[in-house]
Amino acid sequence: MENIQDYIESGILEQYALGELTPAQQSEVAGLAARHPEIQDELTQVQQALGFYAEAHAITPPAGMRERVLANVMAQIATPASALRADVDAVAQAPAATRTPLASAAPAAEAVVRPLSSAPVAEPAGRSVWAMAASVALIMSLAANALFYSRWQDANSDLVALQGDQARFATTTQVMDRQLGNLRQENQVLRNDEFRSVALAGTKTAPSAKARVLYNASTKKVYLDVKSLPALPAGQQYQLWALDNGKPVDAGVLTVATATGAGLQAMKDIASAQAFAMTVEPMGGSISPTLSTMTVIGNI
Amino acid sequence: MPDTSLISLPPAAEAELVRRLQARDEAAMTLFYDRYSAALYGVIFRIVKAEDEAEDVLQEALVKIWHAFASYDPGKGRLFTWVLNICRNLSIDKIRSRQHRVGSRTQGLDESLTAQRQAAPTTFRPEHIGLQEITQKLIPEQRLIIDLLYFEGFTQSEVAEELNIPLGTVKTRARTAIKVLSKLIR
Repeated sequence: MENIQDYIESGILEQYALGELTPAQQSEVAGLAARHPEIQDELTQVQQALGFYAEAHAITPPAGMRERVLANVMAQIATPASALRADVDAVAQAPAATRTPLASAAPAAEAVVRPLSSAPVAEPAGRSVWAMAASVALIMSLAANALFYSRWQDANSDLVALQGDQARFATTTQVMDRQLGNLRQENQVLRNDEFRSVALAGTKTAPSAKARVLYNASTKKVYLDVKSLPALPAGQQYQLWALDNGKPVDAGVLTVATATGAGLQAMKDIASAQAFAMTVEPMGGSISPTLSTMTVIGNI
Repeated sequence: MPDTSLISLPPAAEAELVRRLQARDEAAMTLFYDRYSAALYGVIFRIVKAEDEAEDVLQEALVKIWHAFASYDPGKGRLFTWVLNICRNLSIDKIRSRQHRVGSRTQGLDESLTAQRQAAPTTFRPEHIGLQEITQKLIPEQRLIIDLLYFEGFTQSEVAEELNIPLGTVKTRARTAIKVLSKLIR
């Protein structure tokens, strides 16, 4: 393959993962992935990302569905169940089988009904008692097996449910830990006297816009705290600038969460500044500010 | 970032489940259901958008997974990826056949998106933390494209047509969005 990177960037792996390709194209992608680990890695990443997206949209099925669906599925896939039924049928057929020849033999010997029926029947009757006892024992044993099997299954599914709960709690704890970490960090910044608060007021393009920068001149750290900013059209992003002797220095772009005032965002380190300002730029930010879009500005 | 395997099984447990399914152990289907039904049902429901049909599709999918299990190759990808594809394909077949019957190509975009929003639960559920994060990190236009591709079963060209934007843009946005999701996992 000439250029693996081009192939990866063509978007065909995404199409593969989304099931958009024809079978022929699919086997081509699978073949290339098998030969080139880079392609396989990228494909795995795409599949995992989509899997993650799917999992995030999980819905617990309505009550009662588990039993219905599992019962129907089990009925459709079960092999031992049909084998069991065959055993039971065999047991049920056993006495009948001994009875059939008798019934057909009886009319043939109409004249001597009594001796015939008492003599030869005696032996099969003895056997049929054993057969009946055996079948009763078998049926009881089957019932016991079914009972133990279902208890074992219940125990198994309880265990899985508990494992699921445990995994979810662990997830929640991890997320909470991370959020707590973020809050601690924000708190440290807010309580630290070395950070100076720089109020950024709205310009005439956005009079109600309001934000502040927390700037630590000795560590060069910059944090941004948005109070209110106008929503942006798709494809645009807010960017913070430090003004040093009138020269704008890029201080980073705002995430969607920051722009909606979700919390403090650590921006790029700034060595020296006398003012901060924010402009609207295309997604990803610009090298120099588009001054006509300046939304807020404030002096230190 | 470890908090991404929301409900997917740890590899060892998944290997054990795969082994049992390969050994044709029917009890393993119960474990399978308990582990994956919420994720699979979520996807199926968002595609077919009706509870009873979602139930039918899930059931059909489980039977299919059981019978087709021999064709699953753990070397080629995770069990979850494989079963997810089966469920998505069955669901998309379902809505295609329904559209075919009714004769209209697709539900109007607005209508289908409203249906999805209504389906979104409002109460706090830990398993939806991933969703909150996705909502924060994906810009709306990226999310729209992923939803159309993933939950509406649109092809990239159909998305381009529906949103009236060039196919190249759809491809770029889809790739960028998937990259963002990948970063959330790592």
